[in-house]
Amino acid sequence: MFRRVLGKTLGFLGYTVQYGCIAHCAFEYIGEFVACSGPSMEPTITSHDVVFSERLSRHLCRIEKGDIVIAKSPFDPHMNICKRVIGLEGDKICTSGPSDVFKTHQYVPKGHVWLEGDNLRNSTDSRSYGPVPYALIRGRVCLKLWPPHNFGALNQSPTGRIVKRSD
Amino acid sequence: MFRRVLGKTLGFLGYTVQYGCIAHCAFEYIGEFVACSGPSMEPTITSHDVVFSERLSRHLCRIEKGDIVIAKSPFDPHMNICKRVIGLEGDKICTSGPSDVFKTHQYPRLPQPTLRPAISLKPITVPKGHVWLEGDNLRNSTDSRSYGPVPYALIRGRVCLKLWPPHNFGALNQSPTGRIVKRSD
Repeated sequence: MFRRVLGKTLGFLGYTVQYGCIAHCAFEYIGEFVACSGPSMEPTITSHDVVFSERLSRHLCRIEKGDIVIAKSPFDPHMNICKRVIGLEGDKICTSGPSDVFKTHQYVPKGHVWLEGDNLRNSTDSRSYGPVPYALIRGRVCLKLWPPHNFGALNQSPTGRIVKRSD
Repeated sequence: MFRRVLGKTLGFLGYTVQYGCIAHCAFEYIGEFVACSGPSMEPTITSHDVVFSERLSRHLCRIEKGDIVIAKSPFDPHMNICKRVIGLEGDKICTSGPSDVFKTHQYPRLPQPTLRPAISLKPITVPKGHVWLEGDNLRNSTDSRSYGPVPYALIRGRVCLKLWPPHNFGALNQSPTGRIVKRSD
């Protein structure tokens, strides 16, 4: 009697581990659903929006300028950030403000990307913490799922900050 | 006949995907075997040594000073680096490298980062969420002294056991460099 219960419990645990592993690999290699919070990507993504972030681009290194990515925060390994890729390795980023007299530039080092939020006035991004290693990127946001009236692909960058061409 | 072959093929693929996923999760959450190359961790780890790197410490955030970790290279997402943790967030590191790694990054467009000339002896404070990594072979190691603190999220696992060569099997030695930060201020 006890053996039967033990056998059934182990069998149940075995199935849980099995399907848990398959689900984990699906989220790791195909895509995941992300609930965003914060104002840094307005108006493209607002707080409490749900988006779908696909993983294939990151694994195949096909992240491009203008993509919105989910990345691990450089300052908190448990938190994720959602920003737009403004520049890739080798690009020259203008780091001075539009009203500054002296223009300053910074080059994105090898293996890094420059991330900025669409809401430039209310976004902590590479302008404060510098370029982000490419390896911290988790996935590329490709579809907005919630709210339903905004369902679909995401808009282009409203800021005009994307680096046009690397020198 | 064709249906039977198709059924068996799909069944075989199903089993492969299933056990592939389980193996992937085992390597992701338990540990993995790593073949090291390069001189930067001599004499603790030499080129062609095989070590076991456990993942639980990283996921439970139990990486400590003095641990040898495998991390993704900040400059090449496909490469891994094997270094020792010298300091954690908040620690002050004495280095003759650049004093303000985040504000004054001015990398020229070279394929590899170049060692900056010594410009100050001011200690660097490791920022939140970062660690300071150095190789045991200080003269022949490209580490945080050249590329700055590394985000904690790039760490993959903690090396806990040397497996090859057999005469060196066992736990790894303490740091021979004496660079580990004693206490954070």
